[in-house]
Amino acid sequence: MAGIYIHIPFCRSKCTYCDFASYPRELNKVESYFACLYREIEGRGRELKDRVFSTIYIGGGTPSIVEPKFIVGAIRQIKKFFTLDKDLEITVEINPGTLDEEKVKAYKQVGINRFSIGLQTGYDDQLKRLNRIHTAKDFLICCNLLKGENISADILLGLAGQTEEQVKKTIDLCIAGGVKHISSYALTPEVGTPIYTDYLNGELLSDDEVADIYDKMRAYLKGKGFNRYEVSNFAIPGYESKHNYNYWQRGEYIGLGVSASSHINNRRFTNTYNIDEYLTAIIYNKAPEISSDVIDFEDAKFETIMLALRTEKGIDVKKFNSEFDADFFVEYKKALEKNRPYLNISEDFISIKEEYLYVENGIILEFMKK
Amino acid sequence: MSISKENIRNFCIVAHIDHGKSTLADRLMEKTGQVKERDMEEQLLDSMDLERERGITIKLTPVRMLYTARDGKEYIFNLIDTPGHVDFSYEVSRSLKACEGAILIVDATQGVQAQTLANAYLAIDNDLEIMPVINKMDLASARPDEAKEELENILGIPADDAPLISAKSGLNIEEVLEQIITKVPAPKGDDDKPLKALIFDSYYDNFKGVICFVRIMDGTVKVGKKIKTFMSDKEFTVTEVGVFAPKMFPTDKLSAGDVGYIAASVKSIEDTAVGDTITEVENPATEPLPGYKKALPMVFSGVFPLDGSKYNDLKDALLKLKLNDAALSIEPDNSAALGFGFRCGFLGLLHMDVIQERIEREFDLSIITTAPSVSYKVYKTDGSMLMVENPTHLPPTTEIDYMEEPVINASILTPPEYVGPIMELCQYKRGVYKDMVYLDKSRVELKYTLPLNEIIYDFFDSLKSRTKGYASFDYDVSGYQKSDLVKLDLLLNGDICDALSIIVHKDKAYERGRQIAERLKDIIPRQMFEIPVQACVGGKIIARETVKAYRKDVLAKCYGGDVTRKKKLLEKQKEGKKKMRSIGTVEIPSEAFIEILKTDHDK
Repeated sequence: MAGIYIHIPFCRSKCTYCDFASYPRELNKVESYFACLYREIEGRGRELKDRVFSTIYIGGGTPSIVEPKFIVGAIRQIKKFFTLDKDLEITVEINPGTLDEEKVKAYKQVGINRFSIGLQTGYDDQLKRLNRIHTAKDFLICCNLLKGENISADILLGLAGQTEEQVKKTIDLCIAGGVKHISSYALTPEVGTPIYTDYLNGELLSDDEVADIYDKMRAYLKGKGFNRYEVSNFAIPGYESKHNYNYWQRGEYIGLGVSASSHINNRRFTNTYNIDEYLTAIIYNKAPEISSDVIDFEDAKFETIMLALRTEKGIDVKKFNSEFDADFFVEYKKALEKNRPYLNISEDFISIKEEYLYVENGIILEFMKK
Repeated sequence: MSISKENIRNFCIVAHIDHGKSTLADRLMEKTGQVKERDMEEQLLDSMDLERERGITIKLTPVRMLYTARDGKEYIFNLIDTPGHVDFSYEVSRSLKACEGAILIVDATQGVQAQTLANAYLAIDNDLEIMPVINKMDLASARPDEAKEELENILGIPADDAPLISAKSGLNIEEVLEQIITKVPAPKGDDDKPLKALIFDSYYDNFKGVICFVRIMDGTVKVGKKIKTFMSDKEFTVTEVGVFAPKMFPTDKLSAGDVGYIAASVKSIEDTAVGDTITEVENPATEPLPGYKKALPMVFSGVFPLDGSKYNDLKDALLKLKLNDAALSIEPDNSAALGFGFRCGFLGLLHMDVIQERIEREFDLSIITTAPSVSYKVYKTDGSMLMVENPTHLPPTTEIDYMEEPVINASILTPPEYVGPIMELCQYKRGVYKDMVYLDKSRVELKYTLPLNEIIYDFFDSLKSRTKGYASFDYDVSGYQKSDLVKLDLLLNGDICDALSIIVHKDKAYERGRQIAERLKDIIPRQMFEIPVQACVGGKIIARETVKAYRKDVLAKCYGGDVTRKKKLLEKQKEGKKKMRSIGTVEIPSEAFIEILKTDHDK
């Protein structure tokens, strides 16, 4: 399986926690950006003609902020130059308050069948503090426009003053909106973002508080029929994100547009974060990459373990053994023994016991050689 | 080399720490043209990185200078730099034996301090001519008259004509050079007598073998001569002699009065011990020079490789360090918690710190040092006596009749306003007040007897913080006294960790146990499971803390663009883990064994 990621680096205003390539002041470059993106799609499509891609994910930034014709154009271009699976998952990220009927119609027409809404929290005061451009009510309006569709929502844990009750209410709001998939991320304050200051001043929740809320939330979601299939992802069975699951299977993907990352042929590479640099590179027919790492054999093995252990299912031992011509139980005997209390070990799969998934780093490290 | 003995001056510089010893040495070398100003590296003699970073002199370093005096004659100056810290007073006495005079520096802003006294007395004991110098005249707060008065009143050293200098700015350095000629006597000794050369230091060179730093007392030594020492019967042929200019510079011979080095393809350090006398095989001297009193290590600590497979590397490193550090003692040791390692003896905590850092830097080894201990006398019920330096070796309580611990005579110099806080500190450290003398109106000398095991932890730091850095401290070990001592054990996750055991006074066991358990709770990072930390005396738990289990140790997001970055984060986390040592199932940072003792009761 392989996926396609498209990055839309535009938004109306920057959220306080955001460290993605997203530039509110560059909205005047939308036209030229898409012109170049189409060219990159064409080039990469020709290059990777012999691969079959099964998912497309349009992320950002705020993809829903640009006129729908651009998104539609990008997908048409992909369909034209890439070899695609018949059963295609196409996701677009939506910011509540930027969606209208016309956009929904256009998206659906071109084949978009999954909508990922950035809600973050169901409390307007918290949304305001995060510099979000919408309210909880906007979220419900948005869900209403997407009625009957496969909707996912992102929520954040660890906000200043956030309580368990608030997270539960936020989940209730999602369920009321018909959401079938929830990604729930612990806030990670990155250096350079405004929220990092809150973090330094101790205003965000502590790790222990976040872990408490996370545990309660997990139980709550379970009661509502949402199954945790990855550290931060919960879904009604059958509604898991195929595109994201591919990342944790260490599958291949091609990233297109500013800051997009790819994993093709054991090479991981990333495009420039700068829109102008990106435009220039494409215009002069150069690869817009700024970094490229070749993954060696040992690294590939570790990546497989590190990513798979994030999922409920865990490491597929047979697949691992055949891919790396290895004997997992022999090669990782020591790590398995040391972590026996924390692992579910069967002949076919090795996964982290559900109560230890949120402290998995220490376990994963044992599988790192050197 | 046509300069006669009358024109040689061998001297050292002694001072309290930070009074400007190394800076003056640099200035003397610069003024005598030994180094050009533009080539001048700060503090040339402190050649170890460690010395330069900490601004301290650890090893003694000799250097030869040529000086044309105002009388038109040319002189050879041999300066032997000395360490300033109390831990290294043994090394000071080594260099003093090779000299006829000592420049005593006093900081014009601070006056006479504890180590000024200690070092001056050492020099006087060694019959050296003392030449006082008042330094730091460039500072606005310089009080040269008071400093001179103190020298005369406290030490009885006439200081009327002491040069008022600034080693930093170069003020009056020539006056120092001239006074060296008039005040320091020329060496005695006879070139024609049988060879007697005092080894005052040595180090191992991979190509030349052991290099002995010597002061020739009588006779001459040349390349090709057969030599031997008094303590070893082996004979060696001299392959090179030379002087320090300031790097080693070969010459054709060394004669009585000279300071230089001898190389003779000596492979083993034991064959040329520091303090031994070198003589000729053909025409040997009958008597050796007095030599040195052996420096006794006072503080003992376990030194273990972080990575058990590096045991042999650690052994080699320690043996190489011991080569020119007679005060370092090494014995094999093994611990249930830390595996195979060594029990090392040091002169003091700074010495221990320096050795530890040198092992890590010069030999690139990661080590764990355990809590420092002193040497206890354990009198057993069967009438025998046992010296115990390692708490783990303490016999069961039922076999112990009584124990004795080493005590020191401490001398603390302080401005009068800090007498109260210092007395309180000494009291807390189980000190016994002896005497208090007003040296002058701004300086008091407090004398206490203190158990050595109370000062090896944090006495210096506490003293400094209580006196805003104004008090200075010096001590010598006075003997043993009977004391009510117990072994304090620490349990991690229910198991005793032998490397954390310490011997403490009974009255302090509860408090220290509580402090150490608290420190461990803070130092040990959270792990997958809850870790009880308990302190225990004689099988009784006296304190308990808990290291809570990790709740969140996860990368919240990991999508397409994150993989490489997150992998690097994990690699970094792994690096951190490598600095930890597993004790059973518990991982402990290697510095924990030392850190736990930093528990000033002020905090």
